[in-house]
Amino acid sequence: MNPGYKQEMTKTMKSSILHKFFGLLTLVALLSCSKDPIDENGLLITGRSQCFMTFFDLLGSDHRTVLVSGQTVIDTTAMTVTAVARYGTNMLRLKPYCSVVTDAIVEPTMGIWTDYSQPQKYTVVSGNRLVRKTYTVTVTVQK
Amino acid sequence: MKTITRSVLPVFGLIFLTLSCKTKDVAPEALRNDLLKKTTGPAVVGDRIEFAYAIGTTEGDLKNVKAEASIVGGTGTGFTRFSWFTNRNTGVDQPVQTAADTITNGATSTANIIDVATNKAVTLRYYYYPTEEAKGKDVTFRFSGTSSTGKEVSFQSPAYRVSRMDMKRSLALVDGAKAYVSIADMAVYTKAEVEQNNLANKIDFIYIYRATLGTGNFAFGHALVAPSNADYLKDVTLPTGLAKPRTLIDKRVDVKDAQLRNTTGFDVYIDDIDLQQTTFPNAADFAYGLTADQGAFVKTADGAYAAYVYVNSVNNTAKSMTISIKRLKLN
Repeated sequence: MNPGYKQEMTKTMKSSILHKFFGLLTLVALLSCSKDPIDENGLLITGRSQCFMTFFDLLGSDHRTVLVSGQTVIDTTAMTVTAVARYGTNMLRLKPYCSVVTDAIVEPTMGIWTDYSQPQKYTVVSGNRLVRKTYTVTVTVQK
Repeated sequence: MKTITRSVLPVFGLIFLTLSCKTKDVAPEALRNDLLKKTTGPAVVGDRIEFAYAIGTTEGDLKNVKAEASIVGGTGTGFTRFSWFTNRNTGVDQPVQTAADTITNGATSTANIIDVATNKAVTLRYYYYPTEEAKGKDVTFRFSGTSSTGKEVSFQSPAYRVSRMDMKRSLALVDGAKAYVSIADMAVYTKAEVEQNNLANKIDFIYIYRATLGTGNFAFGHALVAPSNADYLKDVTLPTGLAKPRTLIDKRVDVKDAQLRNTTGFDVYIDDIDLQQTTFPNAADFAYGLTADQGAFVKTADGAYAAYVYVNSVNNTAKSMTISIKRLKLN
């Protein structure tokens, strides 16, 4: 075989291997950059379809709970939350917060001062954002 | 030639680096001073700002120190005669007299250093009491000192804004007696005083103590209640003609203002901006279950004042409470 031809072949093979290597590297890099889906608030959308509330509390202006211990009932079938606020609670200015099943979110956002003199509604949305359950929160005050 | 260049260049480099890093020795000044503002809270009328002014000399003796405030201070403004050291056995700061003839004349305070043979470097405390005139203004201080050699050093402080707030400490409230509080007056009155002095339009809240309240005898405790709240005042015989303003009262449990508390070891302060910017959306007209170190942001019904009412102490047996107030005029 012509030595020049052999050298040219070796060069071509090396170049081909290099191209394949870099191509593979680019593919890996691209795959590693792919993002999981997120919602409009930047929260992760997952595959979970569970959708329920596990805990609920209300804070007064002093950022201490106003609810009577042991009196809060969360009914995940009827989708209701009932609670009793201590005597003297200013029902017009309370800050709610809750816990929900993994990856679920709550709409509208809790953690803002809210008037609880009337029942309030919150929707729990599952991690896959396909299941929505609206809870009605009713708080009564000790008289 | 190449080899010579390669050998010589690093040597030149090293010499250059060594020379470039050499610092010039500058003889320190024989008379030097420094200033530390010890007070971390806002400058409020009724409280003081504390400075530590340090001066030392390596030539001759220290002679005297001077502080010039840009606005004349109140009673108590001036140098103290003592420096302080920490007793290593007890950990307690102890005074040692290092100055005498501490005089304040107008905006200028002076002190003469004593025992100059040993007191080659001292730190003196200077207290400045802001006055009503200084409210809302910036105050600056020029500290200076001289030595026996005739040399003088000085230190110009930055500007410090004096708060527009008013402060009143230790108002004693008693349920059924000294229970009527006026934010405008920063004072507490009895029912008779309200009636006799025509203060019926100046009462912003009333102090009551009820161990329990309501049909279920629920815990209630010490409370501040606006005259507008008929529920909690139904068993109180109010002064004749008492107006019923709905004072906004927003309870807090974690705002332990160091100046209202009036003890060391706390570094939380209510400042002008806190009272200016605190909002009261849907705020109550009462705060109950109050205990020591708690308090409430208060806004008068006419919007004239915002205040923070701090609870210094409560006494269930005597049905009493001691409060301190910071107040800001809003309009």
